[in-house]
Amino acid sequence: MSGVVAEASTVVTTPALSHRPWWRGQPVQVALVIAAMWLAYRALRLEYPWPSRLAWETLQFELDRFQVWLIEQRSAEDKNVVFAVFDGFRALIDDLVRWLEELLLWLTWVGTGAAGTLLVWRFGGLRAALITLAAFALFALTGLWAESVQTLALMLAAVGLSLAVGIPLGIAAGRSRQVARFLTPVLDAAQIVPAFAYLMPVVILFSVGPAAAVVATMVYAIPPSVRITALGIRGVPVNTVEAAASMGSTRTQMLTKVQLPLARRMVLLGVNQTILFALSMVVIAGLIGGGGLGAVVNSGLSSTPSVALLAGLVIVVMAIALDRATEAIAERTDPARRHLDAARLRIVRLQTAAVAAGIVVVIAAAKLAGVGSTYPAAAGVRQRTVTAQEWLLTRIQSVLDYVQDPTSWIFSVTEPTGIFILQKLLLPLQQFLVEGPWFTTLLGLTFVAFVVSGLRPALTTFVMLGAIGVTGVWGLAMDTLSQVLVATLIAVVIGVGLGIAAAESKLVSKAMRPVNDVLQTLPQLVYIIPFIYLMPVSIVPGIVAGVLYAFPVVVRLVERGLHDVAPQSVEAAGAFGATRRQVLTKVKIPLAGDAIMLGVNQGIIMVLAVVVIGGLVGSGGLGYEVAQGLVRGYFGQGVIASFAILALGITLDRVTQGTRKARKEGLG
Amino acid sequence: MEPLIRASGVWKVFGPKADRIVGTPDAALERAELREKTGCVAAVRNVSFEVLPGEVFVVMGLSGSGKSTLVRTLIRLIEPTAGEISIGGRDVRAAGAAELRDLRRNDVAMIFQHFGLLAHRRVIDNVAFGLEIRGMPKSERLSRAREVLRVVGLEDAADQFPDQLSGGMQQRVGVARAFAGNPKVMLYDEPFSALDPLIRRDMQDEVCRLQVETGQTMVFITHDLSEALRLGDRIAIMRDGAIVQLGTPEEVVGAPADEYVENFVRDVPRSQVLTLRWVMRDPEPGEALDGPRLDVGTIVRNAIPALAGSERPVLAVDDDRVVGVVDRVSVLEAIAGEGG
Ligand SMILES: Nc1ncnc2c1ncn2[C@@H]1O[C@H](COP(=O)(O)OP(=O)(O)OP(=O)(O)O)[C@@H](O)[C@H]1O
Ligand SMILES: [Mg+2]
Repeated sequence: MSGVVAEASTVVTTPALSHRPWWRGQPVQVALVIAAMWLAYRALRLEYPWPSRLAWETLQFELDRFQVWLIEQRSAEDKNVVFAVFDGFRALIDDLVRWLEELLLWLTWVGTGAAGTLLVWRFGGLRAALITLAAFALFALTGLWAESVQTLALMLAAVGLSLAVGIPLGIAAGRSRQVARFLTPVLDAAQIVPAFAYLMPVVILFSVGPAAAVVATMVYAIPPSVRITALGIRGVPVNTVEAAASMGSTRTQMLTKVQLPLARRMVLLGVNQTILFALSMVVIAGLIGGGGLGAVVNSGLSSTPSVALLAGLVIVVMAIALDRATEAIAERTDPARRHLDAARLRIVRLQTAAVAAGIVVVIAAAKLAGVGSTYPAAAGVRQRTVTAQEWLLTRIQSVLDYVQDPTSWIFSVTEPTGIFILQKLLLPLQQFLVEGPWFTTLLGLTFVAFVVSGLRPALTTFVMLGAIGVTGVWGLAMDTLSQVLVATLIAVVIGVGLGIAAAESKLVSKAMRPVNDVLQTLPQLVYIIPFIYLMPVSIVPGIVAGVLYAFPVVVRLVERGLHDVAPQSVEAAGAFGATRRQVLTKVKIPLAGDAIMLGVNQGIIMVLAVVVIGGLVGSGGLGYEVAQGLVRGYFGQGVIASFAILALGITLDRVTQGTRKARKEGLG
Repeated sequence: MEPLIRASGVWKVFGPKADRIVGTPDAALERAELREKTGCVAAVRNVSFEVLPGEVFVVMGLSGSGKSTLVRTLIRLIEPTAGEISIGGRDVRAAGAAELRDLRRNDVAMIFQHFGLLAHRRVIDNVAFGLEIRGMPKSERLSRAREVLRVVGLEDAADQFPDQLSGGMQQRVGVARAFAGNPKVMLYDEPFSALDPLIRRDMQDEVCRLQVETGQTMVFITHDLSEALRLGDRIAIMRDGAIVQLGTPEEVVGAPADEYVENFVRDVPRSQVLTLRWVMRDPEPGEALDGPRLDVGTIVRNAIPALAGSERPVLAVDDDRVVGVVDRVSVLEAIAGEGG
């Protein structure tokens, strides 16, 4: 399912036949630049950290003062208009979330479970309904019903509002080229910003609470809904639109009677993606007052790892159930495919009525029988309940104990791997970047950007890196950068390897697909949790998680790139008697260079998003600063680090975008 | 008779700054040169024609000659770059959005090569679509749709969906949809070229029948000459966006304007298209004018029995006046000319 988005962004970027020479000359030039940086590092190590003359040292202090002022303004009796508006908005969203949560609780746990399952059954069919039922059962069995419901309420609000914004924008972009041209760069930019970096600004505007969680989630979840809706509207056959126009449809009639019904499946798949994007924010939304499962994960991370893992598992199951349910609904309710004639329509209406009646009856019965609002019932209400929570926690704990037992088999794999990554890759690179003279690093990276992507990206890189230095987080940013580079390197090696294998063998390709899909459905932080315990070597979990999050995209892009290599070239090489291996190494891989470059470009941004989240669990760097800012309320520090993450994201995107950006047309 | 459709000096140029081309010397360039020089494609170049009420006007030409673009400019599905168009006395180019909609809803209907049916609606709802957007009440429009479906022989498929029908049936739905609103003018854009030959013939017959029954005016696009000759009262032949010849089928076949048209009509069985007018000669002095008399508008092929049954040449008459003589030699020459 997560294919839709990737599809949307890669369809237009098939590599061109004629090849630009970056593949030949550039590696040499880049190597030369790095060699020069290396020499400077050897010679002038530790002598030139970012000079304090060039740093704005009171910035943090100013920001803290700003926060005090903000708080005063916010709590003042006679607020000025801006604050009144923000406050009103915040109160509205807070109320919405609370109201949804109370509704789900009022329905009782039986009622909520039955209503969800029956609705999915009616619109999505039996299979999806069973998955939904299983998910509800898990919520109850883990004893995390109340938290799950809280998360569901938050999701309903965030997804609902995201769609309320995203679908109209998508429709507008689908119908008008101007709107699309205007929105594309905005959406592209939103994609570069790691979710972790805008938590801080959101907190500034909305302070901590459900509203902040909803808004942060919306920022992340709106872009896919816009993109996919636009794609759907534009995918309506031109013939059909033209025919409807020839009969004198108004613009509204065209939209409601032609474009929306025919794009309906795509729009619903957009809803599906929006939900998955929103769910992947649950955990970090927990940091800014989202509550629910996210909060359980966050508090468990430091104290009771088994609880964090259990809550993570519940989030994953919730994601899978929502994914399957919405996908099934999108497919099954497509009017162009289900061929509802009069008789079938009557049956369907009866079913709907029966389901509605069923839901009402179950809820009424549950209310009459005095079923509790959660399972197990809230404290004070006497009810006999059995959950598997204890049992599950013990199991998880025993697995944790096993993987952390130095005598276990798995430990003998993970420990050396972790240490290898740390000592052979991470630390040397970190030293190189952090301890090298600041000016060679700055100029070197700028020059790399120039060689790989051209003048403007190089200027952007220079400005962004300069800004990072000026705000006083140069060292932290270089630390994060080293983590990102190591993780990207590993992700690209794995991704290119598997991508080539998948392109050359149908079997591998088939086997990869479900793995890729699952890996991309999971919320980002959920990746990290297991590795905190599996590879308890400080920075490594964040890196491994980043690799896992990013490599599927590289695989997909490389596989695609190799497939799209013009058959003529391959055939011609074959005609000269080249072996399959020669065709691969001499023709296909060089020709697929653009796809690999695109993989690096997308992968590095995804890695950054995960690596900074690693700051929550001890990866250090900028992510740690943001985490401190959020958790401890170190405002100025958090804002600066957030900004630096953004600047780093833009830099990484510009450096790796290559010269291909011109051909990359967003929105479809 | 007042023409129902009148197009004069119509241009359509695609590309950057397309509106700056017409009226400049660039407009006189060949299509390829123009593209080279300005990046613009002149899809329709200075086209003028008139269509009389009840006439079947066929536009023919090779792929890319601008037929589809031309017919779309008539109702501004594609906005023309220059020129004047009027339909039923209405100035189409000056029409505002509401008037244009009114024209499309009530006066003109179009049938498309790729059908353009609404995949999410039943056949009957597809046929009723045009009526629906006019705001006709449901029961009324469904009964009208059923009526039209009966005319095209699809009453049994009313509850089915477009993708459950064969191509021929889908195009019948397209025809029915266009007919449902009782338009004065029907525009057909290569309606049958996606269908196989047997079905195509059926559909052509059907269209002929409907046209005769309703007396509708038709503009019919095709690149199939035999279709053009079967249906057309007059034929316009387009090349690179311009009309190179406009005339009745026999004019086009009998006197091709240039090599392009000649290549088109070379394989036409001339004896089936040409009338006696095209093969007759003046009577020789002293020739006995006592052979069988046939109207000068008789198709050559239909004159063969008379010619075979008589020793004397056939006399071509126009209003009882002998205008020419047709003998066996001239007919044989006409037939021998077939196939080039
Ligand atoms: N939207 C457009 N933008 C640019 N050029 C166009 C556009 N539509 C058509 N053309 C060009 O205009 C010319 C005429 O196209 P048109 O579709 O009218 O030809 P046609 O005679 O209908 O051909 P066919 O028999 O293949 O349908 C072609 O060269 C085509 O490439
Ligand atoms: Mg055409």
